Amino acid sequence: MTISFAHRHVLEDHIIGFEMKPNAHHLSVSRRPTIVTVLAHAEAEEDVQLALDLLEDVSIRSCGPCEWLAVSQSSSPEALLRLLRAIPGSSAFDQSDGRVLMQISGPDVRRILAKCVGIDLHADVFAVGASGNMLIAHVAGNLARSGPDSFEIIVPRSYAGTVFEELKEMGREFALTAAFG
Amino acid sequence: MSSFRLSSGGIVNRGNAISYTFDGKAMRGFEGDTLASALLANGEMLVGRSFKYHRPRGIVTAGAAEPNALVTIGEGARREPNTRATVAELYDGLTAASQNRWPSLRYDIGSVNGLLSPFLSAGFYYKTFMWPKAFWEKLYEPLIRRAAGLGRIVTEADPDRYEKAWAHCDLLVVGAGPTGLMAALAAGRAGARVILAHEDFRFGGSLLCEKLNIGGVPADEFARAIVDELVSLPNVTLMARTTVFGWYDDMVFGAVEKVQKHVARPSADLPVERLWRIVAKRAILASGAEERPLVFGGNDRPGVMMAEGARIYLNRYGVAIGRKVAVFTNGGSGYGLARDLMAAGVEVTALIDPRRDSGDAVPEGLRVLRGAGVIATTGHLSLKGMIAERSGYEEAIDCDALAMSGGWSPIVHLLCQRGAKPVWSDEKQAFLAPDFGSAFVAAGSAAGLAALSECLKDGADKAIALCRDLGFAAYEMDMPEVEGAYDPAFASLWYMPGSRGKAFVDFQNDVTVADLALSQREAFGHVEHTKRYTTAGMATDQGKLGNVNAIGIIAGMRGMSPADIGTTTFRPFYTPVSFGALAGTARGEHSRPVRRSPLHGWAAKNGAVFVESGLWHRSSWFPREGEKTWREAVDREVKTVRSSAGLCDVSTLGKIEIFGAGAGEFLNRVYSNNFLKLPVGKARYGLMLREDGIVYDDGTTSRLSENHYVLTTTTAYAAEVMAHLEFAAQTLFPHLDVRFASSSDQWAQMSLAGPKARIILQRLVEDDLSNAAFPFLAAREVTLKGGLAARLFRISFSGELAYELAVPAGYGEAVADAIMEAGQGDGICAYGVEALNVLRIEKGHVTHNELEGRTTADDVGLGRMMAMQKPDFIGKRLSTRFGLTAADRLQMVGLKPVEADGEIKAGAHLLKENAKPSMINDQGFVSSACYSPTLGSHIALAMLKSGRERFGEKIVVWDALRGQELLAEVCAPVFVDPDNLKLHV
Amino acid sequence: MASLITCPHCGVRPKEEFSIRGDAVPVRPAPNASDETWNRYVFVRDNPKGVIREYWHHVSGCRRYLVVERDNVSHAVLSVTDATVAGRAGQKEGVR
Repeated sequence: MTISFAHRHVLEDHIIGFEMKPNAHHLSVSRRPTIVTVLAHAEAEEDVQLALDLLEDVSIRSCGPCEWLAVSQSSSPEALLRLLRAIPGSSAFDQSDGRVLMQISGPDVRRILAKCVGIDLHADVFAVGASGNMLIAHVAGNLARSGPDSFEIIVPRSYAGTVFEELKEMGREFALTAAFG
Repeated sequence: MSSFRLSSGGIVNRGNAISYTFDGKAMRGFEGDTLASALLANGEMLVGRSFKYHRPRGIVTAGAAEPNALVTIGEGARREPNTRATVAELYDGLTAASQNRWPSLRYDIGSVNGLLSPFLSAGFYYKTFMWPKAFWEKLYEPLIRRAAGLGRIVTEADPDRYEKAWAHCDLLVVGAGPTGLMAALAAGRAGARVILAHEDFRFGGSLLCEKLNIGGVPADEFARAIVDELVSLPNVTLMARTTVFGWYDDMVFGAVEKVQKHVARPSADLPVERLWRIVAKRAILASGAEERPLVFGGNDRPGVMMAEGARIYLNRYGVAIGRKVAVFTNGGSGYGLARDLMAAGVEVTALIDPRRDSGDAVPEGLRVLRGAGVIATTGHLSLKGMIAERSGYEEAIDCDALAMSGGWSPIVHLLCQRGAKPVWSDEKQAFLAPDFGSAFVAAGSAAGLAALSECLKDGADKAIALCRDLGFAAYEMDMPEVEGAYDPAFASLWYMPGSRGKAFVDFQNDVTVADLALSQREAFGHVEHTKRYTTAGMATDQGKLGNVNAIGIIAGMRGMSPADIGTTTFRPFYTPVSFGALAGTARGEHSRPVRRSPLHGWAAKNGAVFVESGLWHRSSWFPREGEKTWREAVDREVKTVRSSAGLCDVSTLGKIEIFGAGAGEFLNRVYSNNFLKLPVGKARYGLMLREDGIVYDDGTTSRLSENHYVLTTTTAYAAEVMAHLEFAAQTLFPHLDVRFASSSDQWAQMSLAGPKARIILQRLVEDDLSNAAFPFLAAREVTLKGGLAARLFRISFSGELAYELAVPAGYGEAVADAIMEAGQGDGICAYGVEALNVLRIEKGHVTHNELEGRTTADDVGLGRMMAMQKPDFIGKRLSTRFGLTAADRLQMVGLKPVEADGEIKAGAHLLKENAKPSMINDQGFVSSACYSPTLGSHIALAMLKSGRERFGEKIVVWDALRGQELLAEVCAPVFVDPDNLKLHV
Repeated sequence: MASLITCPHCGVRPKEEFSIRGDAVPVRPAPNASDETWNRYVFVRDNPKGVIREYWHHVSGCRRYLVVERDNVSHAVLSVTDATVAGRAGQKEGVR
């Protein structure tokens, strides 16, 4: 007997029935990103960081000293883990199902996010490429700036429904739409 | 009924008329009016009744300090009491009602209090309502509650939305009057990120009401030009209708923005109010100055108003406060007003100046009485005249409005909110802001400057200095010339001697000069005591208008300087802030995050009843058709697990991935039992202690590879244990090579328990699950049929043959469905946390009911898990201290009721037979209890003194809270399979 | 109390991201230290007015323990150091 198990995104219950045509302000939920936690062991932080920066098609999000999230839209978790485990002085494990990735964008995206995060998101302070762990809508998550007017949010799966609804609420002023993307 | 709208003048939009009602009467105003200016335009000077004496009161100011004009705005759930009419922006359809009057504003029964005023003096409540004590609750309190208070509270749920947001800037400018506008402009031109917050809906402050020219253009045009430039600068954010109410640590400011308080029907997509936390590197307080009232007999009569207020109504709103206006002033403000009124064609009957001479320009035709003062006013619901006194001669002067000016007080509230008190200046005759160094400074009239030209320059200069301090290249600005300003100098007059009738210091709380005198006589002389004794400076306006006069008067009575009296304490908020704004979106379902298990959908499909457990919604039990009580469902679930198999969601347990060569050693130090020799592929139950020797948490930890472990925690302690491990790794044992992070959300974890667990699971798993190949405590990665990789742990909380299967969260539902389908023929059921609890009580397994912060490992029968041969582990050293090893400690035992149908409940205490219930006779308590369908009776776990020596003893289970008492037999705390035969099959 | 803490790893953050974990001065004694030393470490805390050193756990950020040196009268934050770094510095100074 062989069984094919269906995979279900935690936000499927939340996105049903929403219009699919995105407005200028849009929240796009990634369906199956690969997300891996990478940890650097003692004295290896710089080497691991260097090795991570060399990876192609992998976006590296800073979580704190010696800890990153490696995000890929193209590799499978297994493939990415193989790459990462080859980095000396590091450990890695799959979080693809444990984290939810959303991208929020639009000309006034900072005004929406100002209601959700306490840090200064001015481009001089939080430039494109910057990332960090922080409270996002009262939930500890990771925020990265993916463009002048776009940010990526990664939150734990169990909290994703709450964060999603909170972002939608804060985006009402700008007619924020949401969909899988 | 004598105030009126002039045929021209002001900066209201006369082309856009607005309809509103006051006490049910339809009225009209213009766009750009406040409710107060619109009321005055309609001749409504009388707007409220005072708090204590119910005296008729009129509008006194045109701004935030207003003590009298408190009205209720809106209807139904949007009704908002105690709104200051002077700052309420007029909108079409606004409904306002006066307060604190019955049956009507003009005929108010409560005004008899005025006749009783000899009995309502300061300290009245404290003296009168003390005795007899029994009267307090039944008589006095309801009486006072009915009489006191202003508006009525709204009890319906607020239908509107509120929000909170953060803002960040280099320079925050508080107030957009002349000083603030220049400051923002200077900083904006320098390229700094500027936030200019202004309480009013229009920028400009005093520039909107001064008849003068700046740089050759009228003041309001000058203001508009600056605002236009500021709007064009991308680095400047203008926030109108925004009050900065608090200054907090680290240059964080609190502000409230009224986003939709000026519309009849707020849009549901916008908040009505937004609470801002503004993080500023530097800040300038440009809040201006407040004009002081004069204290004289009958100074509260409707029609007596601040001179600046009168000037604002005249020049900004085109409203004259009367047809025959008198002025009582000790400085230039009154002269400036008289000039403007006369220029607008309004009769000014006299100007009374207590000073013998001054350099003020006297408009032609104005009668000025120097060295004189007002000692009384006449009229009832409105002013009819006043009595001036000069050198012992009295003169009655006709007037229907009286404008007063007692000088100026810088508005220093924000700068005094963090402990430092304002400082009295003899030279300025005012309290000035304390000096805090360079981060937050007062500028302009908030810093005690008087002349407009000085304020403009001060705003620019201070902004330039702060910008340079932050590294911006800021250039000096050319200062425009000011033409036509009056001299704002004044001489203090705290109280008009010879006054007749009540002379009010605090209008809102009805505090008179006599009350202040009484509090001094009765030894409540300290300014903080005087405040509480007389109520001067309390309630919604917090004495913005009257406090300085109170201090000056107390100083005079005590023969001291105001410097020696000092001020009361300034605290946030500067003006009232609604609870809605403070709560923001944190209401209803948004009040706290909800956590959802990856198996939530599976549980819901199977009919689960959910229970909130921390932030989680956990499946509690799964009722089936025909089951009438939760117990029936739970009993069935327990029996099914014991006889066949059940599937339970355990995804909420905390899971931590631990890596490194030092991981084993680390675990060995955070657990009391041994972890160094845990083989790869094995799980071990571990007990964690606190450093004081008490049990902290328990769980299983499995070694997945040489340097990779996965540790599980209880659901409740997941976050705490993570923090505890981080503390240990980062501060206690930083030299160990160990790294870890949470994987709690990655896995959907389910417990499959029961004698048929293996045969069911084997249908889905490729790997061999026979007892030999996958024995008790095996922990390995396995492959499900179809290729999905999963983690499998053979561990048991129920005491049955059991497995915990972990699959990536997104597959949880599908895998759980497949297990249910695979076990259908064997009678598998879903079971919830209630059944899980019964199963573990039957087996004698502990939870935080037993590990409740006072118990040692030995207390709960886990003494064997204390590996005392280890050199060190957290909690080892203090675990052997006196007290934790005493012979009469409470030890975990089982209880069975002597009568078969007896029901033991958790929380009950234990007593020896025939012992009286008392602390000294207390033998322990019931920690967990349930009905055991396996045994067919209630059972319990309990903590009992020297319990393990007392098996077989009969003991009283005493539950006074529920009025129950029954006899139980003490037994070993394992009711099912004490020899663990079921675990190893 | 501070409104903002400048985390050495994450930058300026609101206090809501942190959990205060108590006095950072006591150092865990050696396993064989005296009863009195252990008693002091586990149970005895000073309550000074003025400059104090506390553990602030950056739970919603980098999850590092920080040693925050602050004045509980003026609320000024004087320094913020990663606890591991602070512990190493403490060892060098012979505090242990």
